[in-house]
Amino acid sequence: MINIEIDGKSVQTERGTTVMDAANKLGVYIPHFCYHKKLSIAANCRMCLVEVEKAPKPLPACATPVAEGMKVLTHSEMAVKAQEGVMEFLLINHPLDCPICDQGGECQLQDLAVGYGGGASRYGEEKRIVMHKDIGALVSTEEMSRCIQCTRCVRFGQEIAGVMELGMAFRGEHAEIMSFVNSSVDSELSGNMIDLCPVGALTSKPFRYTARSWELSRRKSVSPHDGLGSNLVVQVKDNKVLRVVPVENEAINECWISDKDRFSYEGLNAPERLTKPMLKQDGKWLEVEWQVALEYVANGLRQIAGSAAADQIAALATPHSTVEELYLLQKLMRGIGSNNIDSRLRQSDFSTDGKQAGAPWLGMPIAEIDTRDRFLIVGSFLRKDQPLLAHRVRQAVKKGAQANIVHASDDDLLMPVANKSIVAPDEFVNMLAQILKALIEDQGSRIKDQGATPAQSSTPRYALPDPQSLNVLRGVEVGSAAAAIAKNLAEGKNAAVLLGNFAQQHPQAAQIAMLAEQIATLSSAKFGFLGEAANSVGAYLAGAVPFGAAKQGMNAMQMLASPRKAYVLLNVEPELDMHDVQQAMSAMKAADMVVAMSAYKHHATEYADVLLPIAPFTETSGTFVNTEGRAQSFRGAVKPLGEARPAWKVLRVLGNLLNVSGFDYDTSEAVRDEALPNKDVTDKLNNHVAGIALQTPTSGNSQGLQRVSDVPIYFADAVVRRADALQKTRDAAAPCVAMHGSELHRLGVKSGDTVKVSQGNGSVHLTILANDRLPMHTARVAAGHPVTAGLGAMFGAITVERA
Amino acid sequence: MQMIKDFFKTFLLYELVKGMAVTGRYFFARKITVQFPEEKTPQSFRFRGLHAQRRYANGEERCIGCKLCEAVCPALAIKIEVAEREDGTRRTTQYDIDLTKCIFCGFCEESCPVDAIVETRIFEYHGEKRGDLYYTKDMLLAIGDKYEEQIAKDRAADAKYR
Repeated sequence: MINIEIDGKSVQTERGTTVMDAANKLGVYIPHFCYHKKLSIAANCRMCLVEVEKAPKPLPACATPVAEGMKVLTHSEMAVKAQEGVMEFLLINHPLDCPICDQGGECQLQDLAVGYGGGASRYGEEKRIVMHKDIGALVSTEEMSRCIQCTRCVRFGQEIAGVMELGMAFRGEHAEIMSFVNSSVDSELSGNMIDLCPVGALTSKPFRYTARSWELSRRKSVSPHDGLGSNLVVQVKDNKVLRVVPVENEAINECWISDKDRFSYEGLNAPERLTKPMLKQDGKWLEVEWQVALEYVANGLRQIAGSAAADQIAALATPHSTVEELYLLQKLMRGIGSNNIDSRLRQSDFSTDGKQAGAPWLGMPIAEIDTRDRFLIVGSFLRKDQPLLAHRVRQAVKKGAQANIVHASDDDLLMPVANKSIVAPDEFVNMLAQILKALIEDQGSRIKDQGATPAQSSTPRYALPDPQSLNVLRGVEVGSAAAAIAKNLAEGKNAAVLLGNFAQQHPQAAQIAMLAEQIATLSSAKFGFLGEAANSVGAYLAGAVPFGAAKQGMNAMQMLASPRKAYVLLNVEPELDMHDVQQAMSAMKAADMVVAMSAYKHHATEYADVLLPIAPFTETSGTFVNTEGRAQSFRGAVKPLGEARPAWKVLRVLGNLLNVSGFDYDTSEAVRDEALPNKDVTDKLNNHVAGIALQTPTSGNSQGLQRVSDVPIYFADAVVRRADALQKTRDAAAPCVAMHGSELHRLGVKSGDTVKVSQGNGSVHLTILANDRLPMHTARVAAGHPVTAGLGAMFGAITVERA
Repeated sequence: MQMIKDFFKTFLLYELVKGMAVTGRYFFARKITVQFPEEKTPQSFRFRGLHAQRRYANGEERCIGCKLCEAVCPALAIKIEVAEREDGTRRTTQYDIDLTKCIFCGFCEESCPVDAIVETRIFEYHGEKRGDLYYTKDMLLAIGDKYEEQIAKDRAADAKYR
């Protein structure tokens, strides 16, 4: 510890920290632009100049390491003169267009110019002009002349986003920030540059000129998209959400949010919003009163339950719904005697149902990812599915951790990957079995080396593998890739084995999870599932799964495979959200009654009988339980649009109309307290599965093509699908079919040709692209997109022919 | 002593005479009454009357929609909506002043960075029904167009004191 003195106040600080850190600790403000606590030190704005006793010149506080007995003066004549001088230089080229600048009112330069600048400028010559460049639909560089070259955006790209998309070109007065060779900024975290920019050089394109900062009310909320539950501030004017920015929460999102969280708000104001209840009468849609619509639903459900059986009614809910909504939906369904409720819409293997020890979760707090030294990430489009978790893993890798990947597509994770095994989806189980076997063999040799028998060893590293799994693994041949991954994992002290969305949607998900858990045990790693949606964990806890109650109901696949007479859809768009869209659509069309509770007018108009307008996350209060099991409640930020109502209120009234007891809630908090009696849910989280036999892995039948499908980042849920600006980004481009170059050659087509892709009983014409990052015998076709909605399940055989 | 004084003052109608003296003085003094509307009082170039929106000489409206006037208005009389015009500039789509709320403090004019909103010398305006005194952007621009010469002259006269 070092003792230093700032403005006469003494403070103790660690060796190697800077004067800026010490000042922050003491609460002394030193003006700065380029310094940011999460970024490296650049010391190029010179705003933080302070006087240090015995130093001949003022020194930059952000880059001056503390030394014993240092005396720092931040308001001395020398410091003030230096700061004033720097400010005058910064303002020489800064245009005086604050009145039309979107940053006006929340601009660091504006604030500091008032606090530390001179009263007037002595500069009368021409100012520098920087031409604007188009760097995509999200970030506007319209007024690059405002840039003060702090390079925060450049450092953000290099250090946080993992890809340097903006850089400083030219020198001296001609220096300017630009993207490489007119390319756009496509990082899924790019919006954070807007927050980082201390001036108005990088601003939000969708927000441009819509409001001034002082007009907006700021209301806290929680992101409804990926499993993280990033903390947000929703900024509102005239009952309309105009902007979303992050709230700092070190445990979850630090000070970042993904572009999906930031720009999806445009979807809340989309023209397709459903604002009145609608009923289909003689093939025509009529707008009706809530009373009429709800009574129609209640009568319809009662009739079907009475004439057929209650289990002819099924409910599907998106895991992007709140705990309250999911809890009331399952209570309603179980109240009328049906256990057919599910929220795992894209899952296809349900063999672990009822055999889990708890709700599947991340297996550790999110913040702990930073401290892991080995990763095995199985089946995850990590960057697109959980952008901020990818950032956490990237930071860990930067600190020396090593990442191992088992996946069906070698997508660039923007970080060094130690070992990767890119295999077709039907090889996943085999691959994990190889890794497990290699670990067992490795452990065996270690035991031999140390002369201890496994039973005597007390360290978890030597945990005996399940004898049954040894049996199953007998025939497995360990390949070099698996051996390398196993060796790498075994070297780690704090490893993590993580299953991504792709692994959870895999038709052999249970086997994958069993193997992954054993791999984790053997490498004394934390084992976790990456949450697909904001409330994937919450859905389990709220009971929106077919098991757990006295009688087991049908899961999402079963209730579509054997069509039911009535479906209740809670914010589900079956044409996009399901594992097998074809099956879902035929079940919907065959049903006698489909009740679609949705915030949007979507394709439900083709098969539904009644549309109930419900409120998206900004218009309702609710709770999300994120992937680490943190229950976060939020309140509505704006009033529901038109006659839309929070879904929990709609379900509550439906419960009353159907005479289900226990539906007398007055507030969403009352529902939450019943659904999650104890807000701390850690004892209900457990990834362990018991009672499932490991099967002998078979090497995949590699004859035909298999589908590899991702859910594109900006099509994953109902709100982002309708966010204009996000739909103009490269990630939202119309899906193509991607295959290995030699597969293209075999087909006799070139990259860019149109081909016919068929699966099940549907086919679509898509552009084909060569992508050598895919394994042989696979064709990558995105799911969750209207263009590919004509195809079948997310996994399985697919054919690609010349069109 | 005071009692005796008061007694005589009451008796001799002293207050009445004193009061009448004032009346008499003004009766013979020079008249300052103005015969409005035939005659008008002189106005300062800083007179704060009806608002106007100004244009540049090339016909471009000055207002850039910075909303400083809306923010500074103590009576909340100004309502502005802004959007990007086709040429990429920031322009108002709505600029309304409710003159029934306005207290003519002149803060809007002072806060305006481009001298777009000004208060003119006009004070003889009226409304015949509810809503007549709710001035929209077009009305304000029309006033500006009509009196631009006078407005510009007044600003020039005041410039050296600003």
